[in-house]
Amino acid sequence: MFDAFLQGLLMLFHVKPFMYMLIGMTIGFWVGILPGLGGGATLALMMPFIYKMTPEEAFPFLLGMHSVVQTTGDITSVLFGIPGEATTVATIIDGYQMTKKGEAGRALGAALMSSLVGAIIGAFFLALAIPIVRPLVLAFGSPEMLMITLLGLTCIATLSGRGKRGLLLGLMTGGVGFLLGLVGQDRQAGILRFTFGQLYLWNGLPIVPVVVGLFALPEIVDMAVEGTSISRNVDPNMKLGKGVWQGIKDTFIHFWLTVRCSLVGAFIGLMPGLGGGVAQWVSYAHATQSAKTAEEREGFGKGDVRGVLGPGAANNSKEGAGLIPTVAFGIPAGSGMAILMGAFFLLGIVPGPDMLTKHLALTFSMVWTICISNIIVVAVSLLFINQLAKLTFIRGSLLIPFILLLVFIGGYTANNSVGDLIVVLFAGALGYLMVRFGWPRPPFVLGFILGDLVETYLYISVTRYGFDWLYRPKVIIIFIIAVCVALYPFLQKKNLLNQEVQI
Amino acid sequence: MRRMSVKGVEHCRWQALIVCLVFLVISQAQLGMAAPYYQGKTIKLIVGYKPGGGYDRMARLVAKYLPNYLPGKPAVIIENMEGAASVIAANYIYNIAKPDGLTIGTFNRAIPFAQLTKLDGVKFDVLKYAWIGSMAVEGTVFTIRNDLPFKTAEDLLKTKSPIMVGATGPTDTSGQFPTLLREYLGLNMKLIIYPSSSDIMLAVERKEVDGRSGAYSSLKPFIDRGLVRPIIRGRVAEKGTENLPVNEDLTTNKKGKAIMNMFSAGDLIGRPFVCPPGTPAAQLNMLREAFVKVAADPAIRSDAQKAGMEVQFTSAQEIVKVIESVFKQPPEIIAEFARQAKF
Repeated sequence: MFDAFLQGLLMLFHVKPFMYMLIGMTIGFWVGILPGLGGGATLALMMPFIYKMTPEEAFPFLLGMHSVVQTTGDITSVLFGIPGEATTVATIIDGYQMTKKGEAGRALGAALMSSLVGAIIGAFFLALAIPIVRPLVLAFGSPEMLMITLLGLTCIATLSGRGKRGLLLGLMTGGVGFLLGLVGQDRQAGILRFTFGQLYLWNGLPIVPVVVGLFALPEIVDMAVEGTSISRNVDPNMKLGKGVWQGIKDTFIHFWLTVRCSLVGAFIGLMPGLGGGVAQWVSYAHATQSAKTAEEREGFGKGDVRGVLGPGAANNSKEGAGLIPTVAFGIPAGSGMAILMGAFFLLGIVPGPDMLTKHLALTFSMVWTICISNIIVVAVSLLFINQLAKLTFIRGSLLIPFILLLVFIGGYTANNSVGDLIVVLFAGALGYLMVRFGWPRPPFVLGFILGDLVETYLYISVTRYGFDWLYRPKVIIIFIIAVCVALYPFLQKKNLLNQEVQI
Repeated sequence: MRRMSVKGVEHCRWQALIVCLVFLVISQAQLGMAAPYYQGKTIKLIVGYKPGGGYDRMARLVAKYLPNYLPGKPAVIIENMEGAASVIAANYIYNIAKPDGLTIGTFNRAIPFAQLTKLDGVKFDVLKYAWIGSMAVEGTVFTIRNDLPFKTAEDLLKTKSPIMVGATGPTDTSGQFPTLLREYLGLNMKLIIYPSSSDIMLAVERKEVDGRSGAYSSLKPFIDRGLVRPIIRGRVAEKGTENLPVNEDLTTNKKGKAIMNMFSAGDLIGRPFVCPPGTPAAQLNMLREAFVKVAADPAIRSDAQKAGMEVQFTSAQEIVKVIESVFKQPPEIIAEFARQAKF
């Protein structure tokens, strides 16, 4: 086992595999930065090039691309408030607020460094999990998955604003998100819901246009109205370089938070079907719970660096773990992984149990690819991050057309349809109203992502097991955890109040 | 003054040169009429599904080899236009794409059924597409988990406790095939709907469901690995499924036989490729010839084999004949079919 671990590393350090990894990374770097253009579609474009490669060369090429997309996606989220990927939305909440305060360098430093820590922890999680991975994944049936999605939904309590009013607003926006997640052809009976005769809506509202509109458009309107640059009223001569170092240091000041969020990401990545959209929000919610005083808690959403560290770490740690279902079962966990599985077959490798025994070294070389390509890309990004951060001092009137272009192109890549642009506009209007009236957007997105999953797993659990699934021990345990998570903010608040009284 | 005039003369010379050049270009362009139609052009190949699935993989294989067999070696690019089980792509190719031989589309093999059952949103007449042909035959099989005691179709049909069958929807192939087994063969089964076929396979691994039906090419890796075994197949056989019992033969119900037969039309259409209606015969014939040659290329066959697929060309004429025979069924059969297949 340890042999294979080292062998996997050595495999990567041959000239050709390493070169291919660098090429893949360069592609992934730009794919991540450009909003909308996702890792999956790019993998499909890269497929024709691997026909003549050996597996040792092809996987560094493909995975090098796929594993840095999340890292550089954070850059767009932090700098412009546009999600570079659907999975890097949570980074916006605090990251973009920091940018507005003139702390772009610090936010980027924190995002990149936590991505790096996340990638390494995710890779090691994968390496350690390999011997037990099959029973681990198989232990979670549909009823358990239902409970995990419920656990995700309880994060709404944490993501909502403070006080009774805040919680109520959070639950309401979460509910609206939940409902919008149900648009489209229902899977169980094939019934069309809220499609208004539009074929476009059959597959439901696509996630990228929704989040891009929801988060980016209100900020653009805001910037245009105020007539400032992204960084508001900050002396452009202040040293940004110091900010980057500060961000890197922040990662280590809050090291255990970063580690915990990485583990959350890795665990969620391991579960086929949950997807990266969930990991970032759960870890963001977890980060907000690390607030020790009421003022600290208020600071989240207004530019707390921990709000960047959490999702930054989880985004990357889930990548390594996300490989597991594909590698160990030959069952891809998403469209990107489905394409990767196509690559397995092309290269004459059958993904499945063999990957954990006969081809173990190759599996470990994938782990190493994720790790090393992230280290390199973070190092490269840090080199010219100051230049990137300076973009935020450009006058808004010059920058807005460029950002708008990115927003609409990003939305359009979802289905290449005019419908995408309409969704972006509607989501933008909704987002603007939500900001205007102080309704929190994170619960909305969480409800939107999880609505469909909850329905699916509830349906499967009931048709398959009747009501017997309620008595499964794991279901009961996860349910108790979910209840605790839901109640935690209230207990925490009580604690905080008590402390303040004592002070 | 003098200097100016020299400059003027130079200017004239330049003008003459430009005029000559322009003439040269135009005459070259006129010669170019004889150059192949596809020279320097780009063909857009529209796939009605997300990247990664069977339709997408086949389209990308075709895109790789097609330029070699078209005079002028055009570039071929893929555009994924997912949604509504590829009805969106079918509508686009029918109504919006220009019929100039530069757009090819591939969509759901069951798309004639969408038209037959008068599905909302269908804005095409499937017989009016400029059909190129199909690149594969996709036989449907019903598989069950290998650790279950049922060895033959008879064993399976006798079971008392319901078989849990995973499907991706009640109205696609994965749901329709087992539903027909229940309706006309009396199979005791319960349909459980999952988001994707990979979720079903994982559920099979953890013994949450007992079986699944689908295209043989998609299930082959799992059959080879010993996870599931095929028990029953549809009318259309593939290499490796010839000896399985056929669903139509196991029922005595005439209506059932007719309906199962109609479903097998989709299997024969397999991976369809079409051009927009009204594509000029010259271009269409070039494409048809090229597809035949691509399908015969040993290189694409070996690529396909590696990806677990089998290339087998079916001509446009044959496909149109199959669709016409489906459309010609008596109204009561079509009504019953529409009841089973809401699409």
